[in-house]
Amino acid sequence: MGERVTASRPGRPRGPGTSWIGAHALEVALALPLVVYVLVLTAAPIVETMRLSVSAPVDGGFPSLGRYRALVASDLFHAAFRNTVVVVLLSLALEISLGLALALTLHQRFALRGLVRTLVLMPLGVPTVVSAAVMLLVFTRAGYLNALLLAAADGLGILGIEWRFEPVGWTVAGGLPTLFTVAVADTWKVVPVVTLILLAGLQAIPEEVEEAARVDGATGWRRLRHVVLPLLAPYVTAAVILRAIDAFRIFEVALVLAGRVEPVLGTFIWSRYAPPTSDPFTAAAAAVVLFVLILAFVVLYLRLVAGREEAAA
Amino acid sequence: MTADRMGQSRRERPGAATRLLFAGWVAACAATALFPIFVLLMVSVAPGTALFGERPALIVTAPTFRFWRIVAEGGDLWAPLAKSLAVAVMTTVGALALAAPGAYAIARLPVRARYGVVVGLLVTRMFPEFSIGVSVATRFAQLGLVDTYVGLVFAHLTGVLPFVAWLLVGAFEGVPRDVEAAAAIDGASRLATLRRVVLPITAPALAVAALFAWLYSWNEFLYARLLTTSQNTLPLQVFQAIDRGTRQQMAAVAIVLVLPILGVVAVLQRHLRPGALAGAIRG
Repeated sequence: MGERVTASRPGRPRGPGTSWIGAHALEVALALPLVVYVLVLTAAPIVETMRLSVSAPVDGGFPSLGRYRALVASDLFHAAFRNTVVVVLLSLALEISLGLALALTLHQRFALRGLVRTLVLMPLGVPTVVSAAVMLLVFTRAGYLNALLLAAADGLGILGIEWRFEPVGWTVAGGLPTLFTVAVADTWKVVPVVTLILLAGLQAIPEEVEEAARVDGATGWRRLRHVVLPLLAPYVTAAVILRAIDAFRIFEVALVLAGRVEPVLGTFIWSRYAPPTSDPFTAAAAAVVLFVLILAFVVLYLRLVAGREEAAA
Repeated sequence: MTADRMGQSRRERPGAATRLLFAGWVAACAATALFPIFVLLMVSVAPGTALFGERPALIVTAPTFRFWRIVAEGGDLWAPLAKSLAVAVMTTVGALALAAPGAYAIARLPVRARYGVVVGLLVTRMFPEFSIGVSVATRFAQLGLVDTYVGLVFAHLTGVLPFVAWLLVGAFEGVPRDVEAAAAIDGASRLATLRRVVLPITAPALAVAALFAWLYSWNEFLYARLLTTSQNTLPLQVFQAIDRGTRQQMAAVAIVLVLPILGVVAVLQRHLRPGALAGAIRG
């Protein structure tokens, strides 16, 4: 995304304040509806949520950290926070590695590539609620994953290897298996997005570069490691950031698959707003914590990982 | 990649074993991508007994359309379908009407300001959508917009506008100012230039943006849930079926929701730079 900015043209010479508006009347008129809409229906709700998070009618006083203190003391919030971090790390690892493998595959020339590309991209057209519903069918005790593992156990038995598999209710077991189902469900739906970003990156690498490495005698693996991956780094960064933003806010999938046993921040916030609790103040505080968490992740990633890559390149 | 060896040229074919392995891997990828959709199809026609026991059948041998009939005749399908369609079309029109002019103006800003606006749009995406949704829903409740098409369209627009605007800023940046300048020299007014020169050049990007707005609205769950008390949209109907219906009914509704989108994705991916498609899709 960054490279677009460098292709800059010098802006028009700017006069003093009032004449600028006069000179750009058309632009201002064109942008006004969009700006007003985003300010009123996105920016204002964000500010409103932040204000709610520091208002605490129970504790009294306006700027109050009471709701944040309540969060720090809440075991459920701790679990939600921990689970969110685990799910994000699991999904990012799965999505980036699978996305990279798929992008490299689709970058090759082979028969039926167009068809395969269409098929592999299909999951991104499936609504999140539906993908969660399907994963429920795959991961319940009498689901397809257990059936597959039972069949594998039978197969090993025929080969003389004794392996007894006890069917697991993945979504209700709690702990890592349940978080794993959430990460897998998320992965299935969004790997195509990662694949597309990385495929765009591969297509942007000039053929001469790879050709030169080939002529220099670099083998396939070493070309990948020392030529292709470094050039792909900015696209990996874009994929990680776009995916992380959505993975931190994971909601529908977690609600359907893990809602009863393992909270994540998204479902925690939902449960605070919903009737039995009906506490918008705590919900708002948790939302602000999630926002800060995402912002911190993005900034740290850009500074630490992407910065180091740039220095190395 | 795996196939080439030292000094091999691109045209040379790798060995038979490698090609077989590669074909197997490609087939496995495609099968994994399609498996859940296949499961939906099977479950929607499964007789009740096929889903009990430890090992659900992978292929239903005696398909029944009983559950499809229940869904179609029970009023759980047509009304939500109509509402989802109407809201999605209205959201698409609204998104283009608001975002296209705005994005054009943003694209003509000086670089730093433009960069600031684009980063700002990205940062609004980092805030939990849920809280924005609750705040918007509360305000809409005061305005009597709950359970109306207009209310839901307005809510969907809040979700759609940042990324549609972002997509279109990129498209308008690609239109050289010289083209506009040339039209101006030929005596065209600025509005005429926009309509006759800039819009035709950016038509493909506008089409993509429209499809995304449509997809977003068609899939959207959160705002629909917050702003609906009587008539469900399709995603809500799926969620309700997860909660209360049979698995088969859920699968049937889900397929109605999925099929048009698969068509859209298949068409879209043919006409797109991969980057544009990826940037605009939410997980």
